[in-house]
Amino acid sequence: MKANVSNAWSRLRHDRLAMISLVVLVGFVVMAVITPWVSDRDDIRAINTADNPTWASPSSQFILGTDYLGRSVALQIMWGSRVSLFVGLAATLLTIVIGTVIGLASGFFGGWTDAVLMRITDWFLVIPFLPTAIVLAAVLNRSLWTIVFVIGITSWPSTARLVRSQVLSVRSRLYVDRARALGAGRAHLVRRHILPNVTPLVMASTTLAVPISILTETTLSFLGLGDPTQVSWGFILNEAREKGAVDRGAWWYYMPPGVAIVMVVLAFTLLGRAMETVLDPRLRET
Amino acid sequence: MKRQLGALGLAIAALGTMVVTTANASGGDEKVTLTVGLMQDLDSPNPTAGYLVSAYELWNLQYATLTDKAADDFATEPGLAEKWEASNDGLTYTYTLREGLKWSDGEPLTADDVAWTINTSRDQEWINHSATTANLDAKVIDERTVEITSAVPDPKLPTMDVYILPQHIWEEQAAGDITTYAADDGVGSGAFTLQQWNPGQDWTMVANPNFWRGAPKFDQIVFRVFTEGSAMVAALRAGEIDFVHDVPSEQFEGLTTEEGIETVIGQQGGFSELAMNGMAGGIGDGHPALLDIDVRHAIAKAIDRQALVDRVLLGQGEVNPILGVSPDSVWFPEIPEADQLNYDPAGAAKLLDDAGYLDTDGDGTREMPDGSQPLKFRYAQLSDSDTAGPNQELITGWLKEIGIDTEVSTYDQTQLTDVIASGEYDLFAWGWTPFVDPDPMLSYFTCAQVTTDAESPGYNDANWCSEEYDALYEQQNQELDRAKRVELVHEMLTLFHNESTYVVLYHDADTQAYRTDRFTGWVRQPKDVGPVLFSNTSPSYWNLTPVDGGGDDGGTSTGLIIAIVAGAVVVLGAIVFFAARSRRQQDDKE
Amino acid sequence: MRRRFVIGKILGALSTLVFVVVFNFFLFRVVNDDPINSMFRGRNLTPEQLDRLRVKFNLDGTKWEQFVAYVRQLLHGDLGYSLKSSRPVSTVIAEAIWPTILLVGTSTLLAMLGIALGYRAGWRRGSTFDATATSVSMLTYSMPEYWIGMVALGVFAAGLGWFPVGGLNDPGSTLTGLERILDQLHHMILPATVLAVAYIGEYMIVARSAMIDTSREDYLQLARAKGLREADVRKRHAQPNALLPVVSLSAINFGFVLSGAIAVESIFSWPGIGQQTQFAIAGPDFPMLQGLFLLISAAVILANLAADLLYGYLDPRVAGR
Repeated sequence: MKANVSNAWSRLRHDRLAMISLVVLVGFVVMAVITPWVSDRDDIRAINTADNPTWASPSSQFILGTDYLGRSVALQIMWGSRVSLFVGLAATLLTIVIGTVIGLASGFFGGWTDAVLMRITDWFLVIPFLPTAIVLAAVLNRSLWTIVFVIGITSWPSTARLVRSQVLSVRSRLYVDRARALGAGRAHLVRRHILPNVTPLVMASTTLAVPISILTETTLSFLGLGDPTQVSWGFILNEAREKGAVDRGAWWYYMPPGVAIVMVVLAFTLLGRAMETVLDPRLRET
Repeated sequence: MKRQLGALGLAIAALGTMVVTTANASGGDEKVTLTVGLMQDLDSPNPTAGYLVSAYELWNLQYATLTDKAADDFATEPGLAEKWEASNDGLTYTYTLREGLKWSDGEPLTADDVAWTINTSRDQEWINHSATTANLDAKVIDERTVEITSAVPDPKLPTMDVYILPQHIWEEQAAGDITTYAADDGVGSGAFTLQQWNPGQDWTMVANPNFWRGAPKFDQIVFRVFTEGSAMVAALRAGEIDFVHDVPSEQFEGLTTEEGIETVIGQQGGFSELAMNGMAGGIGDGHPALLDIDVRHAIAKAIDRQALVDRVLLGQGEVNPILGVSPDSVWFPEIPEADQLNYDPAGAAKLLDDAGYLDTDGDGTREMPDGSQPLKFRYAQLSDSDTAGPNQELITGWLKEIGIDTEVSTYDQTQLTDVIASGEYDLFAWGWTPFVDPDPMLSYFTCAQVTTDAESPGYNDANWCSEEYDALYEQQNQELDRAKRVELVHEMLTLFHNESTYVVLYHDADTQAYRTDRFTGWVRQPKDVGPVLFSNTSPSYWNLTPVDGGGDDGGTSTGLIIAIVAGAVVVLGAIVFFAARSRRQQDDKE
Repeated sequence: MRRRFVIGKILGALSTLVFVVVFNFFLFRVVNDDPINSMFRGRNLTPEQLDRLRVKFNLDGTKWEQFVAYVRQLLHGDLGYSLKSSRPVSTVIAEAIWPTILLVGTSTLLAMLGIALGYRAGWRRGSTFDATATSVSMLTYSMPEYWIGMVALGVFAAGLGWFPVGGLNDPGSTLTGLERILDQLHHMILPATVLAVAYIGEYMIVARSAMIDTSREDYLQLARAKGLREADVRKRHAQPNALLPVVSLSAINFGFVLSGAIAVESIFSWPGIGQQTQFAIAGPDFPMLQGLFLLISAAVILANLAADLLYGYLDPRVAGR
């Protein structure tokens, strides 16, 4: 297992795109982490921006200009990175946990448990994801946790499918049967034999799920379903549009958040695909 | 395979275009048309079913009322009735209809129509009629005379502003469920009547030659529904439409300096408030500090209402601390400057200090005098309002400055209504729009309207109860002398203001604009401060006169045609490219 | 075997539909049960009048009675009344559906260009063409479709003024016939292109990997060994086989494009299903949201069913298994 991972890492290191993506991601994470140290959240509260110019184009004072309340767009993007990344990661975590548990249960127990769980999985796979997320978010309170919950509850099925198929293939392999013959308990089986084998693929699928979570968060926020007390990239775009940034030609208001979203999503996607290729022998292009 | 797909897609596209085209088609002609842009579709042309502002405008145009309201001050004026007489006890009024009144379809309009409308609306509790007609009984004396008796003294009389419906059309409908009637008959007694409604797009109303003031001076009005404020404003600038209602504030700013366009910031008493839970219903868990009038005054003084109007409303509103009970400012009392609770953070802090709310643990938030809990208030705001967010950011910021902490939750209207009904809140921000008569809005803050059962909430959403206020309410409700009634209402509103259960943040406004090159005769209702259309009775419509040779509607510019052709070429090109590729591949195979 | 496959798929789709109906009802009625009080706030109505309105909107009685009434109405094609406009939901949807079909249909056609690009890229894996096409696809795939829309509006409508800022027609337009159709095309170019750009990458990527998988198959080597020209191998053998994944993608993508249309339609004021969804979110207008969600789900379920059946038809191995 350990050998497997280090082997994969050394192969990943030679993938130039994957490495660039990693650097970009690390950059954004660093920005999200250090923002509270290098800036003051109060600086983008409307009560403190009464003296700032509104709709100011980029200048040395405001490198990405200001919005309709005179708040710095650059600072909003920095603070927004915390919310967007947090929601993206937390929602992905929830997705993976739900998906893995259901996939494990389904693949391991088989029988009617499998049948019922896979039926439910199929339902969620077929029902369109974004509309479901929209109706769920529309009836719940507007909060970050709602968004996390909504994304988690709508996007787990593909992970469940993936984990289940892995479990089935691992289970059919001889050594599990032998372990079972030796009288090992189910928990032991899952922990020692099945989890280690499905983990690498789950990691790759996690990396691929993050960008989808981030995109969903921005879309929900953009549609007015986000938490209006938290600045996220999607929320900035929502405000920019509502306040007429496009008509005003205030490109500094709606371009940068979009570019940030594209960079993070692209980086996660590229990295995830590279990991998938490295970890799944069938995808490796010889 | 692919070619078939392509062909199928093309067919779908063509079919879709055709359907959409036929759905939109409306004939062009040389009629003089006033085109009004707005951002709300009709809900229903049926006055027993609809409830949107757009529908009220339609009814104001289509259905004349017994008495009309003056453009300047809403004073009661003759309408369908040319005169009326009161009985000695003030309970009965006898109205005399004008001579020769006719519906737009030529049928005579008689006292029967009036009595039928009043009595049926009372019996069937029509939503837009029954607040006025609930206690009334109408009796036909002769074709032109109708006698209306109120069961209780009613200070609103002799004003009779309910829409009189044509009995010969509606009687049949009232036999069944009247609210399901489509009301597309277009028969009315007002200046214009409905000709056609294309839901989601527009509705057209044509001049009624039988209108009692005489036929209007132009042929028709087209109300066009926009979904995007910028598109609406662009259409006004381009002269495609003549008037816009409810312009988003960002776009409105740009119009004020435009040549040939007149902007109107029209007030009708609508306002936004910050409400504090008074807990009078005994349910819920409001913060105990809010029962202290000093805390409520401190909160009011912490809020810079002028800054809200300037920065959030971009100046399109008015600082006014009085509960907006009517569009008519005659009802608003003068509050002495000393009592106005104007922005004064130092004074607010001092109030709290003196009352014993001190920050004893040094965390920046004050505690209750007995130290039991901090002054941390739940602040509930609406999710679907473009002013709620910025208002909240500013208000919570100001409160923090005087040592009051807040915890913000965001709800949609249904959720917020439930939260308020349950009493589980401390502060919330919302707003109201009043009727012309102050009675309904005044009634909302009586003890009877306090919610005691979350399942059937009353209108008194701040859970505030005052016997003094209730006694005054009963008095004004029966006072037939208008001057005395105004006096009573002033007293009530001063009391309400001083209690500071509601901090009225501002009175908001209808933002409107019109082209000056098309029509003249725009009338503001009420005088000087009201909107020109979508006001209470919208007298502008029958006052407007077309400007000779004024702006010509429509006309496609060459630039547009070039752009259309270019666009079409791109789309068609892509499809042709696609088809050609698949054909070439086909050829390759041969 | 064959019939069993078809029936199984149809039953699966039906069960999903039933799940959607149940989910749809209880989500809205359990979490948020009575919007009447907020709707008529400040209308000065009596409790009796409010109760009558509850009857109109099917909000009276127990949850179970409401559910039975809801299902009965559904079977009659009745989706209830919009809270905001008080018009029948089915009528509003019927009006909004054509603009969406027009927009989604056109943009799907445009996005299918991605299939051709994907085949070409997959066949010449590692070429400059492949590298370029793949990177561009990844890039557009990463962009939120509504943001592409904002940028397109900013550049081509607000900036250059080549295209209108939104809508289906020019407001106040009295154009008829061909002119009107051209006007609609003019309005549709930006939103359709934006949606196509957002989804072309996905088509391209899937078509490419399908082609790569196929190109490894033994029979292609056999075909080459038989001395067929490379172009012939691609067109006669590789492409038809690489079609399968693309078929199922088209079905799945249909759901995505429909969803993407929600944000794009509201940006471009396109009077379709998506814009109605955006309107219904504010408020929220539960019956509208319910109806729209049911419609979108049903459309996607049907598209999936069609893809499954088509897949089974094109590849008998699937159906026979």
